[in-house]
Amino acid sequence: MTVLIDLTGITKVLKGQEQDRTILSGVDLTVRAGESVAIVGRSGSGKSTLLSILGLFDRPDEGSYLLAGQDISRLPERRAAKLRSSHFGFVFQRFFLLKHLTAAQNVAMALVNGQGWLPRRERRARVLEALDQVGIAHLAKNRPARMSGGEQQRVAIARALVRRPVVLLADEPTGALDTETGTAVIEALLAATTRGCGLVLVTHDRDHAARMDRTLDLVDGVLTERVRA
Amino acid sequence: MRRLSGRFRSALVIGLQGIRARKLRTLLSMVSLFLGVLAVVVVQAGASIAERALLANVELTNGIDGTKNLYVPPEPGAASAVLDTVEGRPDATAMIVLPAIIGEPGVRPVNEGAAPFDENWGSSGEICFPDGTCQPNPEPTGQAVEVRLTALTGDVRAFRPYRPYRPRHGQWLDFTTMPAMAPRLVLNLEAAKGFERYRVPAEMRVRGAIAHITPQFVGVIDDGDIQPRAYVRMDELVTWLPVNTLTDPGTGGELQVLMTGSTPVEQVLTSRLTGLGLQVGVQTVDSLERQEDELALIRLVFLAMAGLVLLIGVAGILNVGLATVGERIEEFALRRAVGTPRSLLAGIVLAETLLTGLLTAAAAIGVSVGGLKLVSMMLGDAEPFLQNMQYPWDAGLAGIVAGLIAGILGGFVPALRAARIPIASVMRA
Repeated sequence: MTVLIDLTGITKVLKGQEQDRTILSGVDLTVRAGESVAIVGRSGSGKSTLLSILGLFDRPDEGSYLLAGQDISRLPERRAAKLRSSHFGFVFQRFFLLKHLTAAQNVAMALVNGQGWLPRRERRARVLEALDQVGIAHLAKNRPARMSGGEQQRVAIARALVRRPVVLLADEPTGALDTETGTAVIEALLAATTRGCGLVLVTHDRDHAARMDRTLDLVDGVLTERVRA
Repeated sequence: MRRLSGRFRSALVIGLQGIRARKLRTLLSMVSLFLGVLAVVVVQAGASIAERALLANVELTNGIDGTKNLYVPPEPGAASAVLDTVEGRPDATAMIVLPAIIGEPGVRPVNEGAAPFDENWGSSGEICFPDGTCQPNPEPTGQAVEVRLTALTGDVRAFRPYRPYRPRHGQWLDFTTMPAMAPRLVLNLEAAKGFERYRVPAEMRVRGAIAHITPQFVGVIDDGDIQPRAYVRMDELVTWLPVNTLTDPGTGGELQVLMTGSTPVEQVLTSRLTGLGLQVGVQTVDSLERQEDELALIRLVFLAMAGLVLLIGVAGILNVGLATVGERIEEFALRRAVGTPRSLLAGIVLAETLLTGLLTAAAAIGVSVGGLKLVSMMLGDAEPFLQNMQYPWDAGLAGIVAGLIAGILGGFVPALRAARIPIASVMRA
């Protein structure tokens, strides 16, 4: 399988008033097309920082980051924004849906981002396709206030999928959901991997982590692969 | 170019969504900006209307800008040369002014020398002759009014826009009909005042006329002249007054030709009159140019005041804009996360404030248009220049520009703030 993400020796240090704090220490990570990877660890272990670096929200202090073989460790913000739009989809613990927009408009938000312009008809088709992938095309005209938590998270996943990303980054997407709804959301995310999309899932939930192809433990900034029985 | 177009459209779409989502805030921004934009619109409209009013008054006495006035000395032969040249031409009108007394025969008029009726010009009670000798006027003062009789070869309103005064009571001279034996007169306001005040017989005396004339009054106009004046068709007057006497120095007549700027009449007439040994003077009306500096200064002072009010409105937009960006940190961080560039985030905020500014400008223009119509309806009778007043669209343009400037000034700082929101805001939420 094609290597999508290849992190080597990623280090991130937070500057403190008294002393610096190492968040990530020489992290190596490879994600392939269609592969799902779970990253687990205690709060403050650096999971979200790692995801920030993966999603080009933040830059590593040391190490290299190859995306589909291209070094993107030190990208200027303008190019990083373009790559975020074209290669990545993001799902957060809180859904971050805009309450004044319908589900379809929330999904379309990722298409109306200044990175090219799609005609209205094509935009609508892409939005409905993404909503259909997560099974809520019938809720396209509903506003978030009229949807359950699970439905809102599915809208957020559709928003992440609508640009047909290469990698899906999910930061505790089931954290605000009950077990049953959380399971449905994980299934929706895993469905994307069947279409060749890589998935990096940050989670506290061991059961959800177990459903991924690989599980990695992040302890004190060091990433180690958990060997499954 | 395509990228710019995409960003522009995105900013517009998202900006409109933002306005629709925050209607109350948009309304509050508009309220704070409204007075400022309205002040700019009103000042601009007021200046334009004042300019028109001022110009209208000047045009009444001097003529429309660009009109050429050719002054001909009152010498024998001048009148026939002028009348032959301008007869039937729409681009030139000859005007001969003569003293005329309407009323009882053989009496001195109540306003000798065609003086305004409320002013005493100190009549000497003497008759003076061209050779300089004077003798006491033997005529007793009686019921007669002296006017400056102004004979016209065509419709002079093409050059001097006289305003019909209470048009329901009369009409302007009709040059398309056959000339009448009883000359039709149109009075100016001062003459109308005199004939309202003094009941006089309809008998007109003009020096050099072959008989006393019985005129008929057909209308009243406002020509801006303080002296009583009566307008008459030249062809109706020459029935009673031979052409060669029109410019007889003894009659005290004045001869003037009003022309458009590009007519060949000027050259022909100048040649003919020069051939007669007469020296003519030509003046072009340039009232607007002469008043421009004065008007510009007045406009500048009022615009400065309007600018101050506008600044207060800008502060209002700025305040609401900053508060709105503070509330939308997560939205902007999320937009950055999905690939929206910083410049577009700034563009979204600017688009919202610009649209707000434009909406406010539209409201201010609407109110000023309505206000002008109302003023025109209520005060149109008292102030004739307000009748049929067209809205000065340069004021509308000034309002739109003011709205756009306010939108840019008020949205600039919030736009910068929006562009600097870190994406981590959504990760740590």
